[in-house]
Amino acid sequence: MLTRDRIGALLMLAFSLGYGAMIFNIPLLPFQANQAFTARTLPQALSILGVVLSLALLLKPLRGTAREDDKIWRANMIRLLTRVPGLGFPLGKVLMLCVAMVFYGFTVRPLGFLLATTLFLVASMYVLGERRHVMAFSIAIGVTVFFWVLMTQFLDVYIAPLPTFLGR
Amino acid sequence: MLDGILSGLGTAASPLNILMVAVGCFAGTFIGMLPGLGPISAIALMIPITYGFDPATGLILMAGVYYGAIFGGSTSSILINAPGVAGTVASAFDGYPMAKKGHAGKALAIAAYSSFSGGTIAAIFLLVAAPSLAVVSLAFQSTDYFALMVLGLTAVAAFAGRGNVLKALLMTIFGLMLSTVGTDETQGIQRFTFGMIDLIDGISFLLLAMATFALSEAMMSVLKPKTEEEKIREKDANANLGSMKLSREEVKEMVPVIGRSSVLGFLVGVLPGAGATIASFLAYGMEQRIAGPEKGREFGTGSVRGLAAPETANNAACSGSFVPLLTLGIPGSGTTAIMLGALISYGIQPGPRLFVENPEVFWSVIISMYLGNVILLVLNLPLIPYIARILALPHTVLVPMILFFSLIGVYFVSFNTFDIQLMVIFASAALVLRLLDMPMAPMLLGFILGGMMEENLRRALIINNDSWAFLWTRPLTFWILVIAALVLFVPMLSPFVKRSLARRRETAGEGG
Repeated sequence: MLTRDRIGALLMLAFSLGYGAMIFNIPLLPFQANQAFTARTLPQALSILGVVLSLALLLKPLRGTAREDDKIWRANMIRLLTRVPGLGFPLGKVLMLCVAMVFYGFTVRPLGFLLATTLFLVASMYVLGERRHVMAFSIAIGVTVFFWVLMTQFLDVYIAPLPTFLGR
Repeated sequence: MLDGILSGLGTAASPLNILMVAVGCFAGTFIGMLPGLGPISAIALMIPITYGFDPATGLILMAGVYYGAIFGGSTSSILINAPGVAGTVASAFDGYPMAKKGHAGKALAIAAYSSFSGGTIAAIFLLVAAPSLAVVSLAFQSTDYFALMVLGLTAVAAFAGRGNVLKALLMTIFGLMLSTVGTDETQGIQRFTFGMIDLIDGISFLLLAMATFALSEAMMSVLKPKTEEEKIREKDANANLGSMKLSREEVKEMVPVIGRSSVLGFLVGVLPGAGATIASFLAYGMEQRIAGPEKGREFGTGSVRGLAAPETANNAACSGSFVPLLTLGIPGSGTTAIMLGALISYGIQPGPRLFVENPEVFWSVIISMYLGNVILLVLNLPLIPYIARILALPHTVLVPMILFFSLIGVYFVSFNTFDIQLMVIFASAALVLRLLDMPMAPMLLGFILGGMMEENLRRALIINNDSWAFLWTRPLTFWILVIAALVLFVPMLSPFVKRSLARRRETAGEGG
């Protein structure tokens, strides 16, 4: 049965194997090949350990209590990852937040700190279900300006406030 | 040593540093109170602010945040039975029942006095233990350091609890793997960079800590929406706390508990890998046993001892966990690991040399712990009713703020927008691992120790002419490695031993 631990073990096994395969891309100079310790030594040891440990976790026999725990976990997961009437779709919210963060990463330079941050804060509050727009905007603008003043005026970190096309 | 204490006192008592302790305690209490955000996130969120400070000030601020967060965690444990921090789970056992009976104020006061005493007593131990250990550790060589780091990593896994040892080990290895990304320090060879310029310097520890703790904890709180019952509890928490005064009998009951739990907490805190969570559970269990059958039955229903013990022990363990960090430069927990990362980014190498080269950092941190504990008591206790209002702050505002502070904290250090994208990737991966109940702290510890471990191992090999024999010929190294093996395998084997003993007893019983 594919339990919680076994899913984790499979993920780690895949990661360790991929990591192990990429060790061959680490360049070694000819004279280093015979040294006891090269840039490849630790990665090799780690990937072997990773494979062994994830196999051990994968093949560990299931005991009674673990089986019960797994049932509870499974029920919890189904509740977490599906649409709940009334509460919305939490997983969807998380995904939207990730999109907002990625978008923030792309816009913070071209749009400038003030605009990009305000947009990000308002957008993520909206995603989480905040519908009092005036409050959302005033909090977002307040936090953004306060933070910008704190960083630039008191902590001497320069942050471009305005979009690039308006000059620096 | 007296010189050191005096210079530390001078540094710690400067107005800026006192202000920082106060700010740290306050901010820590605030963040620690939010369910889900623990001390690791609290400290990580502070790091970008501390970059402009000198190391002593920065570390003082972070230490303040650390015990502030533990204190804040106990507040939410007591008031709404939702521990913000793993170290305060045990405080909810008796704290919440006490609050439910209408003695929330009293429970908070007990927690505050116990934390204060635990923290202060442990700071005295630290004052004695740290310098003496630092002197001893000057004799350590790179081979011993390598062994110590192995010990630290295995201990974290071993203390992960029953059934979790394998998972914790696996996550430690995962952290070690992540630490190999970037340019190899001694040979300048690029590893696992996929030819990307942004990865040449490796993954910054701040980025990893923020993404896997602050960000993923915030995302997790979105995934687990509050139930109606929890919402009601949060509303109740702000209604009426009751009197904060303790009776003389209660104080009498607390004093011996505090004494025992401080010692236990400190010792557990010093152990690599253990820390506040284990200390609080051990102290709770120990007091329940000492209390005897009659008083022991009160545990779990609002016992004074049951609250005082874990509260004392977790704060004592916080102070204790500074011993390996300050003397050996080896963090014993996720929280001290992140402080180590911060210290390294200030250009300070923690370890035995810290005591010699930066005595003002060493001593001022220790001295500031006394100040921090006083401030927690004087400032936070009367302010708790107001701080507790943060629990009523809407989720829809709080989560975006945490996301913003985490992202911007990393971005303001590197000014590289690639870091923001990388954080989203790590946070999503961490969220998946969290949903699978994989522990994250061992990963962070593995990541921070990884680079140091490889460097020490390589140096040891160079000194020993590429021979691995030092692992068993140098006694200190050998014994540390033996301890590491014992720490790892004894808990794994103990169920087998118990079972076979039980079987033998059974057969003996049948025969006789």
